[in-house]
Amino acid sequence: MPMFDYVRAKSVAEAVELLADTQCVSRPLAGGTDVLVQVRHTPPTFQRLVDVSRIPEMKIIERQGDEICVGAAVTYTEIIESALLRETATCLVEASRLVGGPAIANAGTLGGNVANGAACADGVPPLVCLDALAHVRNSAGARAVPVADLLSGPHETMLQRGDLITHFTFPVMPDGARSTFIKLGRRNAQAISRLNVAAAGALSSEGRVIFARVVPGSALPRLRRFVEVENMLIGERPSEALFETAGAEASRAMVAVTGRRWSTEYKEIALQGLVARALRQVFTVEN
Amino acid sequence: MLIELTVNGRDVAVDAPPDITLLDLLRDYLNLTGTKEGCAVGECGACAVIMDGRLVNSCMVLAPQADGCAITTIEGVRAPDGGPNDLQQNFIEYGAVQCGICIPGMIMAGEALLMRNPLPTREEIRMGLAGNLCRCTGYQQIVDAIEATAKGRQKG
Ligand SMILES: Cc1cc2nc3c(=O)[nH]c(=O)nc-3n(C[C@H](O)[C@H](O)[C@H](O)COP(=O)(O)OP(=O)(O)OC[C@H]3O[C@@H](n4cnc5c(N)ncnc54)[C@H](O)[C@@H]3O)c2cc1C
Repeated sequence: MPMFDYVRAKSVAEAVELLADTQCVSRPLAGGTDVLVQVRHTPPTFQRLVDVSRIPEMKIIERQGDEICVGAAVTYTEIIESALLRETATCLVEASRLVGGPAIANAGTLGGNVANGAACADGVPPLVCLDALAHVRNSAGARAVPVADLLSGPHETMLQRGDLITHFTFPVMPDGARSTFIKLGRRNAQAISRLNVAAAGALSSEGRVIFARVVPGSALPRLRRFVEVENMLIGERPSEALFETAGAEASRAMVAVTGRRWSTEYKEIALQGLVARALRQVFTVEN
Repeated sequence: MLIELTVNGRDVAVDAPPDITLLDLLRDYLNLTGTKEGCAVGECGACAVIMDGRLVNSCMVLAPQADGCAITTIEGVRAPDGGPNDLQQNFIEYGAVQCGICIPGMIMAGEALLMRNPLPTREEIRMGLAGNLCRCTGYQQIVDAIEATAKGRQKG
């Protein structure tokens, strides 16, 4: 007897219908790079996988007015190859370049990364940095949830059985804004993040910070924008001292939530450095 | 369930359970045992194959996901006369092969890289091999072999 059944959905409507089936506990399957590792280690809690990886509506990458729309079944490789995303979502492209090796990047999807809910997920800090909404469908209807609110804790999401993330949308950042992503792993490639930072920012014509986003990943039990750091940047002129102070503030904010743990000695210095480096990349004006 | 796919240019239809991986389908149902199982969790790349033009770990693909796809395995990489192609020949010449278990995956990763980036830098070659582990060679000779192949193909 097979452990589970497989069915390929051709449209979002069909996938939602299959996932809502009460006779057969079903879970979405996209790139399989998390699901297949899990079934290897523990018996599946589902009876059927609904393959959503080839649903055309979930593969789009396009600009819709002042918003960018990225389908949940878009792979990291497709993100890296997208000229639109390279222009409007550098942090997401940079993060995608650092996911796994080529084979993982070719299969793994953004929707799978978010739905899997790992604290070290590299796709999530960029989405939160971009203020992305996850668009979720089930048989009762559709809703849009800020990505940050979808994640309730390590490997816990607010997704219910039957929910399908169809796509993400985020507003186009202000003119001149730049974003970046920096990752700290145990080796340079195919390593999960010990810590990472997505950051974005823009300067006024007078050279003062008018837009700032700082989102450390793997730092807090619940991922969020570090608004306290963003606020201290607004109105300031970029300088080495400012980047260092912002890094220190990020570490302070992290420790205020996590308390001092075995990893704090390392993470405190590392986060400070990563935030400073990310801000340097975002705000350093090339001549 | 019936899974229909093209493997190394040949159309095949296989009746297989829905919960097996593409790796198992290739090895146990199609007797293509050149593709190796290493870690079985996507970390080592020994099972890498090319699926619709992209490198994938066949241990991370469910067999029915490959339905309708074109797969190239190590058995499908060869010179027109059936012997080793230029990349495989360079692996031999540059001493890139020791125990050999990682080599089918290394060759597939090398071919997949050269398909998209015909003249990669050494750094790009390293990134192209980021998902493939080798415990004998130290990688240097593997990078050398891929670099030499890229240059050789450039000359035509
Ligand atoms: C060797 C290796 C290296 C890795 N390296 C990294 C790394 O560097 N950084 C990183 O962040 N991750 C990494 N990962 C983890 C994984 O590749 C990513 O999390 C990936 O984005 C998962 O996407 P997927 O499409 O493969 O998900 P799947 O395995 O198909 O699904 C994952 C989960 O999400 C659910 N799901 C999938 N799509 C949807 C959807 N549209 N709506 C609702 N639920 C959905 C599934 O039901 C399942 O619970 C690595 C994994 C491996 C095996």
